Amino acid sequence: MTTLLDDYALISPLRNRNNWLKLIIVAFGLLVGVSSTSPVTPLFIALSMSIATVFLGKTPLKLYLKILTAPLGFAFAGAVVIFFFFGSGSEILSFNIFGYPFIANSEGINMATLVVSRTFSGMCCLFFLAFTTPMVELFAVLKKTRLPESFIELSMLIYRYIFVFLDVAMSIKYAQTIRLGYKDVKSSIYSFSMLVSTLFLQSWEQGEKLYLAMDSRCYNGKMMMFDAKRPVELSEIITASLYFIFILTIFYFTKNISVV
Amino acid sequence: MHIMEGFLPTPWWQLWFAISIPVIMFGIYKLNKMVEYKREILPLLAVAGAFIFVLSSLKLPSVTGSCSHPTGTGLGAILFGPAVTAVLSTIVLLYQAIFLAHGGLTTLGANVFAMGIIGPLVGYAIYKAGMKFNFNAYAVVFLAATFADWATYVATASQLSLAFPAETGGILGSFKAFAGIFAVTQVPLAIMEGAVTTLIFKYIVQLKSEALIKLNAISKEGVRKLKGVTA
Repeated sequence: MTTLLDDYALISPLRNRNNWLKLIIVAFGLLVGVSSTSPVTPLFIALSMSIATVFLGKTPLKLYLKILTAPLGFAFAGAVVIFFFFGSGSEILSFNIFGYPFIANSEGINMATLVVSRTFSGMCCLFFLAFTTPMVELFAVLKKTRLPESFIELSMLIYRYIFVFLDVAMSIKYAQTIRLGYKDVKSSIYSFSMLVSTLFLQSWEQGEKLYLAMDSRCYNGKMMMFDAKRPVELSEIITASLYFIFILTIFYFTKNISVV
Repeated sequence: MHIMEGFLPTPWWQLWFAISIPVIMFGIYKLNKMVEYKREILPLLAVAGAFIFVLSSLKLPSVTGSCSHPTGTGLGAILFGPAVTAVLSTIVLLYQAIFLAHGGLTTLGANVFAMGIIGPLVGYAIYKAGMKFNFNAYAVVFLAATFADWATYVATASQLSLAFPAETGGILGSFKAFAGIFAVTQVPLAIMEGAVTTLIFKYIVQLKSEALIKLNAISKEGVRKLKGVTA
């Protein structure tokens, strides 16, 4: 069974904090991270967000680390290109592979480390949000924004159906696997296509049933949500502000630091 | 194939948002019109969106051994048209960013542009053109899904190379490098996705062709021809 981060968010103690406060902290982290000019600030944001997720949010450390390492692969693949092809400056490292020259210069190395650290901090911020704020809470926030009603309605319905289909997909896949449906590449392609088309047809029927069910309960294109009132406490505002000031100070003083 | 959070530097992520947002707005406008006209379409679109999400969270057995997943946007474009697919992809990408930390929030605009706009547009164009000229429907679906995937990957590589031009050869030079690295997984993967999408299409035609007719994805004659029934 795929573990969705939402499951952990529902039992996180940070769930009961004000959503706007969490969103502001995450948005702040994302924006400062992406606009930083040295790897120090993003790494610091990453560290503080991880600590907040694991200790304040009570996320299992092992799970957190495992999930964190997974998406880094893409970041590194992209960073390798920047490492060797981007920018100018003094040559640091160069070698030939099959006659192709690979030259890494100082600007490229700096850019690559900067990009990886930005990505890392951005991911930690996103994970903080994912592990502490269930989607249901975010819908209440979304409803308050001026996004088009149909867009929000659609998002909510999609969210509901993700779980239904994940369940169906997992049980079909399980059934296929124990019947050796994935024993080699060819049968995997067949099994996978069968799984997906069955899923599509099931979803279609579910969609029709859902329409009937909602229509007969007077659905008029607007679902009402329960929005729990969670006032921000003064201590939280002070802590958050101190954190912001601290990050901005680090940002200011480390802006010229680079690896090479 | 998503650009990770924080990967694009400052002028670029805003730029891609600026390009994507009008398209999404247009998609929402289209969506509203569709919903007004046929109210039962909203739940259907919702399950379609959930379908794309689940599809992309299922790992496709990949030849290279890397676990990559199908984007599903080719299929989405064929079934629902590119404008609505753009809206669905936006929601799916948002969920992937928040649930799975796949992609990101600042890079959402760039990812929507590559996966939700360019890919579906290319797939849709190929599908419509192929069906118009009466090519074999399965071959057309295969090409549409494969090229939708490749278009997404070329778009992502271009976005990255625009943001990080190479020292020698400029944008084109780094484009070659980025495209080269992604080609290792994306070229076979796109062909796999094409094959899988074709098979899915075949099963749907066999089991529930009326769904396709209702969505205007294929004509009645087309279905009859594919089923091999001569009436």
